[in-house]
Amino acid sequence: MAPPSVSRSLALLWRVRPGAAAAASRFSSSSSSSSLSAASSSVPLRSYSTAAAIVAHHDDNHVYPASPPAVMMKGVKMAGRPLYLDMQATSPVDPRVLDAMLPYYIDQYGNPHSRTHMYGWESDDAVEKAREQIAKLIGANPKEIIFTSGATEANNIALKGVMHFYKEKKRHVITTQTEHKCVLDSCRHLQQEGFEVTYLPVKKDGLISLDELKAAIRPDTGIVSVMLVNNEIGVIQPIAEIGEICRKNKLFLHTDAAQAAGKIPINVDELKVDLMSLSAHKVYGPKGVGALYMRRRPRVRVEAQMSGGGQERGIRSGTVPTPLVVGMGAACEIAMEEMKHDEKHIKELTDRLYNGITSKLDGVILNGSEEHRYSGNLNLSFAYVEGESLLMGLKEVAVSSGSACTSASLEPSYVLRALGVEEDMAHTSIRFGIGRFTTEEEVDRAVALTVDQVTKLRQMSPLWEMVQEGIDLKSIQWAQH
Amino acid sequence: MAPASPSPAQARELYRALVREARKFSNYNVREYVKRRTVAGFQEHRAVSDPEAAAAAYAAGKKQLELAKRQAVVYNLYAPQVKSIMDLR
Repeated sequence: MAPPSVSRSLALLWRVRPGAAAAASRFSSSSSSSSLSAASSSVPLRSYSTAAAIVAHHDDNHVYPASPPAVMMKGVKMAGRPLYLDMQATSPVDPRVLDAMLPYYIDQYGNPHSRTHMYGWESDDAVEKAREQIAKLIGANPKEIIFTSGATEANNIALKGVMHFYKEKKRHVITTQTEHKCVLDSCRHLQQEGFEVTYLPVKKDGLISLDELKAAIRPDTGIVSVMLVNNEIGVIQPIAEIGEICRKNKLFLHTDAAQAAGKIPINVDELKVDLMSLSAHKVYGPKGVGALYMRRRPRVRVEAQMSGGGQERGIRSGTVPTPLVVGMGAACEIAMEEMKHDEKHIKELTDRLYNGITSKLDGVILNGSEEHRYSGNLNLSFAYVEGESLLMGLKEVAVSSGSACTSASLEPSYVLRALGVEEDMAHTSIRFGIGRFTTEEEVDRAVALTVDQVTKLRQMSPLWEMVQEGIDLKSIQWAQH
Repeated sequence: MAPASPSPAQARELYRALVREARKFSNYNVREYVKRRTVAGFQEHRAVSDPEAAAAAYAAGKKQLELAKRQAVVYNLYAPQVKSIMDLR
């Protein structure tokens, strides 16, 4: 039988071959990969896994080796694409989201602000539908949603926009030490302009103290900004209680819900927030789009940070990118429908990962509160292990240490420092991010690789030897040579 | 689109069709997700007695099948040469 060609494989996708259907039902996906070489033999082409057929075609006459290094990047040889466990950095686009977006890249490419023809009208309809979908996810009115280029821009508009608008009377901002870099940088910018900012410390478990917040409030405080779910440690702040305090003191409450939206149930009225930042690519949507929720009753006014044609009620000028916005809307709608399924799945996998690692290794610390957390974020510190070498050994697992924004520098994460984690433990922290598309096998593989690598590194470590012998490392007087 | 409640045979056919579509994806994570979600979805609606709800669930399932068919083509058109390591071992 002739080796399958690519065009034949594609043509086969359009019809299910009756014989193949019966054959296909006997195989699971894991066995299909082991029979890649079998696919090139006389077995009739199964109509699934076209890419497998392509690979089989190339290696037709070769014995399939154990794991050939298929790609070399940055000096690292990898047999295949790593398994992805970095969901807090970004998430894969859900096929249902891509399906919703594609028409707006192909035929329905109009500018939503064109009022004179069908292209504009249908584009505008799509944008408004997406607005409704996002508003439904957080319990808001569609008129309260402003599209931006992402959560970073939404945070900028929230902080700088509100403080600039109310700059006559309000000169003080309260935020926390564990906020996202864009919030901290906006606050620093405001400080340079002459505003005052209080950075609230966090307790060991990552939560802020409500008493400290109350003590920090002044008559000229304009806004309090506390993120809902932390991107590095997954801790959930008590936003409802903070909202209560802010209402009493007539302050605006802004929360960065980029990591929270679509993952935990959010209702802006229950949380009593006035401004909320959302990001599409954290919730299986496209990158490059986000939204800012701004309460209308009582109205929150902001000074626009982008000047232009007055789109998005004058708050954010610029053409609204219809395909991205449609994608964000679809992602939010899907997240709302899937929330129960996802929550159950992610909790199971996170428990499996955590128990798998801690049952085989000592000296593993979970950073952040155990009860008040989003389960898909697991930040673990491994004692007596060096962080960079651990990451280098985990090249088949895509994880991060520290957040993506700060991983370029060698400094340990400021969030872990704010938690009071010691520097050596902060350096060895790994953040595992589990999401909708993560599978049990991936978690098992990650557990095995992590345990392997940590054990290997510890065996090489003299510090670990000393700890095993019972020596207290803190009591050692290191000799100066 | 079945206006009346689907027969058990129709529901089984939809289930098989969805799992078949799942296998066509070259992307490991999407393939596993479609399978898992189909199983979870059918289990969730297994005991639904109200015929309208059953018909609505069946119609939604059919829509997802159409979507899966389209996206399987798109995903495989852009399948990378380098496979996921979960597919290699």
